[in-house]
Amino acid sequence: MTDTLTCANLSKSYGGVVAVRDVGFTIAPGEAYGLLGPNGAGKTTTISMLVGLLKPDTGTVVVGGADLSADPMAAKAKIGYVPQEIALYPDLTGRENLRFFCRLFGLPRKAVRARVEEVLDLVGLADRADAKLDTYSGGMKRRINIGAALLHRPELLILDEPTVGVDPQSRKSILDGLERLVADGMALLYTSHYMEEVERVCDRIAIVDHGSIVAEGTRHELVALVGGADRIELTLDGDVDTALAKLRGLGGVTEAVRTAAGSVRLIAEGGRYLLPSVISTVDGIAAVTAVEVVEPDLEATFLHLTGNTLRD
Amino acid sequence: MRPHPVLALVAANLRRHSRDRVGLFFIVVMPFVSIIFVGMALGGGAAAARLPVGVVAQESDPVAAAVLAELRAHPDLEIKTVGGEEELRAGVRGGALAAGVVIPPGSTRFELVMTQSSGSGMAARSAVDASVGRVAGVIEATRAATSAGASPAHAAELVRRAQAASADVEVVGSDTASATPRGFAYTAPANLLLFTFINSMAVAAALVESRRIGMLPRAFTAPVRRGAVLFGEALSRFLVAAAQAVLIMVVSSLLFGVSWGEPFGVAAVVGVFALVATGAAILMGSLVRSSAQPSAIGPPLGIVLGMLGGCLWPAEAAGPTLDTIGHLFPHAWGMDALLTLSRPGTGLGDVLLEVAVLGLMAAVLLSLSLVLFSRRTRTL
Ligand SMILES: Nc1ncnc2c1ncn2[C@@H]1O[C@H](COP(=O)(O)OP(=O)(O)O)[C@@H](O)[C@H]1O
Ligand SMILES: [Mg+2]
Repeated sequence: MTDTLTCANLSKSYGGVVAVRDVGFTIAPGEAYGLLGPNGAGKTTTISMLVGLLKPDTGTVVVGGADLSADPMAAKAKIGYVPQEIALYPDLTGRENLRFFCRLFGLPRKAVRARVEEVLDLVGLADRADAKLDTYSGGMKRRINIGAALLHRPELLILDEPTVGVDPQSRKSILDGLERLVADGMALLYTSHYMEEVERVCDRIAIVDHGSIVAEGTRHELVALVGGADRIELTLDGDVDTALAKLRGLGGVTEAVRTAAGSVRLIAEGGRYLLPSVISTVDGIAAVTAVEVVEPDLEATFLHLTGNTLRD
Repeated sequence: MRPHPVLALVAANLRRHSRDRVGLFFIVVMPFVSIIFVGMALGGGAAAARLPVGVVAQESDPVAAAVLAELRAHPDLEIKTVGGEEELRAGVRGGALAAGVVIPPGSTRFELVMTQSSGSGMAARSAVDASVGRVAGVIEATRAATSAGASPAHAAELVRRAQAASADVEVVGSDTASATPRGFAYTAPANLLLFTFINSMAVAAALVESRRIGMLPRAFTAPVRRGAVLFGEALSRFLVAAAQAVLIMVVSSLLFGVSWGEPFGVAAVVGVFALVATGAAILMGSLVRSSAQPSAIGPPLGIVLGMLGGCLWPAEAAGPTLDTIGHLFPHAWGMDALLTLSRPGTGLGDVLLEVAVLGLMAAVLLSLSLVLFSRRTRTL
């Protein structure tokens, strides 16, 4: 069976800055694939190359068997692209915007009306379809932004951080909607720096940092990379730097970073049994005001692999 | 049937412009406010008033006296006696007089002074012709006048000469022929160029917005050729420019009786000028950052170019230096061409140079701006 997307050896530099370095992955039909990485990791740059907005320095992109550089029209017709910003006409109504994209994607004239209504229902905006977009709430704009990419029934929907700046309720409705689309057989490429979203929506995940994929697999596979280690979140009051240095030397602790002014994150083998020694290590240097032991998750994997946190 | 992506872009853009009430006001109302007010100030609004015709004549001369009487009797003319020929020509040139008649003493060879392109001058000429044509009456008067003093031979001679005179009335005025017409005949073409340009610059705001919100990059991810998207955007602006020009032409000819001239010539001039305006709009749309800038920069820029091009006051009032500078920009060429075409008997052939210069400007502006615009919209 032909893969929905295959990209290989994608690289892109801006001047001296390498934004994307040798990125490659494959998405099977109906698969939900996630790019998880912090801001500046190269997610948008990668996507821009996949949708034909940016010419890669090296590498190839094949969409549903069509090579993007050799046959861009065929490749682009299979992709629905949802940019990070609301790329729609603010002075037109929701319905008019959708109609515009139907025409742009060359939907047969007769099919336009029905398809617009379908998508309006899908994104839950049928009742606001005739209001101008600049009267929509942030969450509604996000939803119509996604709807505009669905009109031509793409094989692959590519979304660039679709929930940034969205209230929790709209976020839930967006994620629910995406899950329904995947259930109906659409392949998804989802990028985010929110671990929980990627975990929830995606079958397979690539962890990206500084322009490269550092690990790829199912959530289960990725978390296993940390081994049996737990993630320990400490809130300290006192000399945090010295405490951090001491903790790094503690047996079993594989990573220790500061996540906020008085917060420290540890990855430790059998972490939950290590708690007494953690507390005695910082005794006299800082007071432990809160402790949380978290089962291994993608946040722990990210820290394990990159020595960094997902959120800055 | 599959809709064409260019049409999709044009339809969406025109719909957006039709929602912009301020923009519409500037397209539909402002040009006519400007045409009417400036036109009346320049003396074109008094269509019902009698045409002022200046006459240089010695009333003691019997022929002159008779012709004068005939002219004074004409319902459409208001005869003003003027001291000398210089004063007369100045009056005609300045627009205070629709035309002037010089009747040299003892001669029946009258001179009619007028500007060829002035509509009121044309009207005055036909009135004067009619008066002089009724020279039979004049001859009767002449005979009656001369029977007292002049010899019959002299009187007969006068009759012969007076009869020939109707054919001798000639339009003099190589020096005044190129003068700018007054009234609506001037303000209509001037404001056509002014507003076509200014409003094209103003609608570039929508272009900046499309660029800024990532609408165009998004359009490029559709299976549409890059050139089609750029063409759609350019065509949208061109249609606005052309619609503005056509609106001004139609309304001014219906309401103010402005005659624009030979249709092919006018279409060519207005068409290339709209292309120039389109190029300028896309250039603006590519260069500025915020969608508030085009409506802030466009009108002042359009007015300065209009000043230099003779769209705010006649070019001859500005002097030769400014006129030369003006011809570095499109408005002056457009003005030259439209004024030429407004004279009867002219056509596309008389404005080929202007059309060529404007066409060249349009080609340079459009290619430059489209390359720039394409670059600016390449990435997100
Ligand atoms: N147009 C550009 N010019 C220069 N540097 C850029 C440009 N776009 C992105 N970058 C750089 O490339 C890197 C990756 O950016 P991006 O792909 O936007 O990351 P992400 O989407 O993961 O936040 C960043 O360091 C960013 O500063
Ligand atoms: Mg990004």
